[in-house]
Amino acid sequence: MISFDNVTKRYPGSHEALTNVSFTINQGELVYVTGHSGAGKSTLLKLMAAIERPTTGTVLINNQNVSKLKSGTLPYVRRKFGLVFQDHKLLYDRNCYHNVALPLSINGITGQDAGKRIRAALDKVGLLDKEKAMPITLSGGEQQRLAIARAVVSRPSILIADEPTGNLDRVYAADILQLFNAFQQVGVTVIIATHDALGNSQNEHVSSKILHLNQGRLVKAEVAA
Amino acid sequence: MKSWLTQHTQALKLVLRRFKANLLNTLFICLAIGVTLALPSIMYTVLSSLSGLANNVKSESQISVFLSADQASGTATSIKAALEKNAVVKSFKFVSKEDALKQLETATANNNVLSSLEQNPLPDAFFIAPKNLDAASVESLKNELAKLEGIEEIVVDGAWIKRLNYLILIGQKAMVIITSLLGFALVAVIGNTIRMQILTQQAEIELSQLIGATKSFIRRPFLYLGALYGLIGGLFALLITYAVISVFNQSLNTLAREYQTDFSINLPDITSGSVVCLLSLIVGLVSAYFAVSKSLFKNIN
Repeated sequence: MISFDNVTKRYPGSHEALTNVSFTINQGELVYVTGHSGAGKSTLLKLMAAIERPTTGTVLINNQNVSKLKSGTLPYVRRKFGLVFQDHKLLYDRNCYHNVALPLSINGITGQDAGKRIRAALDKVGLLDKEKAMPITLSGGEQQRLAIARAVVSRPSILIADEPTGNLDRVYAADILQLFNAFQQVGVTVIIATHDALGNSQNEHVSSKILHLNQGRLVKAEVAA
Repeated sequence: MKSWLTQHTQALKLVLRRFKANLLNTLFICLAIGVTLALPSIMYTVLSSLSGLANNVKSESQISVFLSADQASGTATSIKAALEKNAVVKSFKFVSKEDALKQLETATANNNVLSSLEQNPLPDAFFIAPKNLDAASVESLKNELAKLEGIEEIVVDGAWIKRLNYLILIGQKAMVIITSLLGFALVAVIGNTIRMQILTQQAEIELSQLIGATKSFIRRPFLYLGALYGLIGGLFALLITYAVISVFNQSLNTLAREYQTDFSINLPDITSGSVVCLLSLIVGLVSAYFAVSKSLFKNIN
């Protein structure tokens, strides 16, 4: 589904953010990307989501080579992903409902059909009663859940989350991870970046893959039972 | 086709929603555009009314051809035949010297002076209305007539019309220059407004690009915004033009009556009104396009 082959990413005027990274992620897997901050986790996720292109090496997404795609087709590749950003990127000028509506309107889905899916997504993250609330009035955990609702509303086959539990206390964090597990169980590929090496400690019953990065190199790719 | 339509209605609805949310701002921007456009539109209306007036007077004007007193007897007939054949002559009237004298007698109170004359001093004359009224064709007709025999003098009426025409020409040049300068100003105003709008929506634009919005999806609402600014601005310009001209027409009518004429500036009709709206819509669209292309996709791909 996603396959990296000797991928190196170098930002202009900077050191290599990723060096010779190779791995494969299959459909329906739960993948943790771990490592200290600055290890290249976010860069890895951006390459996966076709937001960045590799400097060298190949990134295959559903057997499409991202480097070879025209920039006009990249948006369509990006729509396959549900993204949860490190800084949420919620829009504070509109209520929860309209925040979740954005990916659908990008996909050209509006009206009643959109309404049903938006409420379903809000329901899934437990925010159905906050439909009309402005994001600024939500707690940190609720904002994170709203971001997840927005990521899943267009029913992506791959869900990518960058530090989704970063600023949350343990209870909230466990909540959020539970949510991701639920998506993985219905067949969604879930990729989570976390600086917390024990981020998956609460989910030992779920089999997952761990990609551990250190200074831009993949030092460990293991499957935890 | 259906998705294309959805995309466009979606963008239009979005723009209208934003309009409603910032109603006062939107109105002021449109008003600024309207004022900018009103100036050339008023100038155009005034100039076209003036040149209409000039044409009107000119169509009453004539080329007077006076025959020499000692002409051969057949001259008048041969000139008549030449005029009938001439394609640029619309109509002509022959006034013999006897008729002319009679007209003069009825027009003058003091018949004694006329009756004291030994012979009729007036020449035979043709009064010609040319088909084309512009200066060049009148001049060429005059030259053509000068070649005919037995003609004493050719007088083209209305030197002042010539002058008026030159004035109108100067006015038209000024209008073209002012229109193009204000056009640039308009592009700058609309472009800047759209750039501001882009800035306030930076977060949404960035996010949309990250989750797979195409460039045209992001660009579309701004293009609609520019076009709508232009259109509404054009309507404002028309309203201003109407108001200003109506105010002036009242005084002009009074003035014209003093000159025993009936002159007023024509209000813009539906055609010129729609041309103004269409032009400003296009200006809005084009400036939006430039603004968007310049500032929207600087930091992606």
